[in-house]
Amino acid sequence: MKKIQILFVLLAGFLLFQSCQEKRAYRALIITGQSNHNWMASSPILKTILDQTGLFATDIARTPKEGGDMSKFQPDFQKYNVVVMAYNGDSWPEKTKTAFLDYVKNGGGVVIYHEADNSFPDWKEYNEIIGLGGWNHRSEKDGPYVYYKNNVLVRDTAKGSAGSHGPQHEFLVKARKPDHPILKGLPVAWMHGKDELYSTLRGPAQNMEILATAYADTAKRGTGRDEPMLMTISYGKGRIFHTAMGHVGKDETHPATECVGFIVTLQRGAEWAATGNVTQQIPIDFPNVACSVSRPDYKEVTLSEDLDKISKYSIDKSTRYYTDLQARIRKVTGDPAALLELEKKMVQVLKDKNATAEGKKLLLRELAWMGSDYCLPVVQELQKDADLQEAATFAIERMKPQ
Amino acid sequence: MTTQTNRRAFLKNSAVASVGSLILPSIIPSTALGMGGKPAPSNRIVMGAIGTGSQGRSNIGDFLELNNQVQFVALCDVDTGSLQKAKEKIAKSGAKDDQRTYGDFREFLEKEKLDAVTIALPDHWHGIIYTAAAEKKLHVYGEKPICRTIHDGQTIVKAVQKNNIIWQTGSWQRSRSNFHRGAELVINGRIGKIQRIEVGLPNGNKGIGTPPVQEVPKELNWDMWLGPAPKVAYRGVSHWNWRWILDYSGGQLTDWAGHHIDIANWGAGLEHTGPVEISGVGVYPREGIYNVPVEYDFNCKYANGIEMRVCNEGRLEMGSGTTWYGDKGWIHVNRGETLVASDPKILQEVIGEKEIHLIKSDNHWQNFIDCVRSGQKTIAPVEVAYRAISVGLLGEIAMQTGQTIHWDPEKEEIIGNPMAARLLNRPYRQPWHLATL
Repeated sequence: MKKIQILFVLLAGFLLFQSCQEKRAYRALIITGQSNHNWMASSPILKTILDQTGLFATDIARTPKEGGDMSKFQPDFQKYNVVVMAYNGDSWPEKTKTAFLDYVKNGGGVVIYHEADNSFPDWKEYNEIIGLGGWNHRSEKDGPYVYYKNNVLVRDTAKGSAGSHGPQHEFLVKARKPDHPILKGLPVAWMHGKDELYSTLRGPAQNMEILATAYADTAKRGTGRDEPMLMTISYGKGRIFHTAMGHVGKDETHPATECVGFIVTLQRGAEWAATGNVTQQIPIDFPNVACSVSRPDYKEVTLSEDLDKISKYSIDKSTRYYTDLQARIRKVTGDPAALLELEKKMVQVLKDKNATAEGKKLLLRELAWMGSDYCLPVVQELQKDADLQEAATFAIERMKPQ
Repeated sequence: MTTQTNRRAFLKNSAVASVGSLILPSIIPSTALGMGGKPAPSNRIVMGAIGTGSQGRSNIGDFLELNNQVQFVALCDVDTGSLQKAKEKIAKSGAKDDQRTYGDFREFLEKEKLDAVTIALPDHWHGIIYTAAAEKKLHVYGEKPICRTIHDGQTIVKAVQKNNIIWQTGSWQRSRSNFHRGAELVINGRIGKIQRIEVGLPNGNKGIGTPPVQEVPKELNWDMWLGPAPKVAYRGVSHWNWRWILDYSGGQLTDWAGHHIDIANWGAGLEHTGPVEISGVGVYPREGIYNVPVEYDFNCKYANGIEMRVCNEGRLEMGSGTTWYGDKGWIHVNRGETLVASDPKILQEVIGEKEIHLIKSDNHWQNFIDCVRSGQKTIAPVEVAYRAISVGLLGEIAMQTGQTIHWDPEKEEIIGNPMAARLLNRPYRQPWHLATL
């Protein structure tokens, strides 16, 4: 009997797995295996980020190790809608290079991730695909420096090497094409998690659009220019999304890839590269100019987590969960049933004897404008609580019909 | 001498002045007309200041630069350090720094006999103190935005009208020639029929996280600083940076509504009305005590078909400033004397005698003093200031609720949305309340 149960569970699991797989409209291939960065850590991160969209089923292809026999490395690019380059290493065999170029020319999508723009300095077509690159003896022979200075796009043919960055730090990413599908609806500037700020990149930069830049502060050994961070390039019929961000090194944590700004632009950039459109919703935790926002586990925070944190809130703690809740409220104000559901959950925290007064004050602030008669008795009760009397009165006053 | 008589109708402290000027008219001939020269002390406008922080002191300085037409006799602030700095500034200008000082505006208004008062306070105090000053029949130079909520604004407008005082809003762009010229060309149809307006305001502030609670500086009366706003612990954020906290301000949006939206209304003839439909998106900080929108983008539709988009400058090709788009071209104005048009010829146009001539002022503070003397309306009266900030405040409500707001600009009510209507007002912390007029 037990065996049958187990079989049943396995079968159900398999079917569920199948159905999830079927829902995924596109296939993505991450190419890695050699890099001056921690590719062992970054490739599963990239896969997690892409799979999380529900749009992609993502495979990882690894090349042989540095100096290994490359002749057998022949991924079937044509099976994929988007190829994510997370590779910086040995040259590929001609056959593989040709297959990759055919894939792109015929309309295949490509994502160039961080150190992948260091790779293949001598492969002309690859450099056309990445638009801008750095290091590995790149120089004026490879194309101009491209950057913004005083809000003017500059193609600078000055002599010099390509690729540099100062110490890692948080920096502001600024949209230059806020209406591009990848950026549409996002804040026009957001604080990015601690990362290398790639600068002095140079390359052919043909058919390239700079979607976003970051100011490389001279105080951080930067160039004093606004350096390209997100770019799109077209090559044949292919669409390329290039993010210069997302450094993953030897450290245990990876603030650059945990950054919601990185995650979301990668997800949107990959969909755009695959299809030319972006259908993804903008998550409630997208950062803005005020501060960076991180997802250490690469997951979006849930409502119950938010409420749990609010119930434990004290004035020295993060207000992030409260701002999450505010964003959730804003999303459902047009739907009275959904708003009431949210209100009921907020009232549960108000009733919770273990919840902090400071947390309850935050909830009262919101209920003051969005609460219904449902919350009123509980709020009135809180007027008797010395710590909450003022906040409860504020809410009741505001709820009075105007 | 009719001008003098008119003037006196608006000045309470003119008893001495009238005697002086009647006896010795030849000594002070030009001052009565406000035409310059050095007035006798007795002919100066007697002023006080409530709020002597950086903006308050800046305004005091601008009044003192008016060639001795104004005498400051009293200062009021909840921070004795600010009062001291104001006195130092006054002394530096060469005037006496013998002003009486107050920490409570009620005592200040009760005891002082003034002609006019300049007021520069955090927005959450505007409702109570503007109203109280108007009720004391003082002429007011008041900082924009004139109110934190629509309800506060309605009360202030009533108070000014009821007491028939002279009011100048600190929307000084009106007294700059590029803004005036741009608005005058637009209102006289030089770009044809206006179709849409874009207003770009500064991008939002960066956050500071959540600074620790700290001891209130000895100079600062923190409870009085908070006044009608909710009681919170002091974290080192009061002067200047109150701008980034919703209890006191709406951020860059409401700060600048009194400039670029005000100018937009001036040129488009929308000064005495408001939008009928407002919708848009705000971007709010994820963390920390600063909670005003750091980005904003909303659209206002007017009954006459004009649409006004208000957003942070990073979202607009033209960046900061006001751009009117008509069916025959566009005009853009901004700080830094910026005045540009789709066709440079538009800017050469002469406004004919029978066309609309907007009030002209070359000095915003002088315009206030002139109007106090003449009894005429200032270049930035209270009703107009209220309509300018209403656009910002309605945008704030649309963004906070995530809904399209329907507004009746005649009745000044939100239509069919009781939840959003709650945001037209903010409950005051006891014992503070706004007078019902």
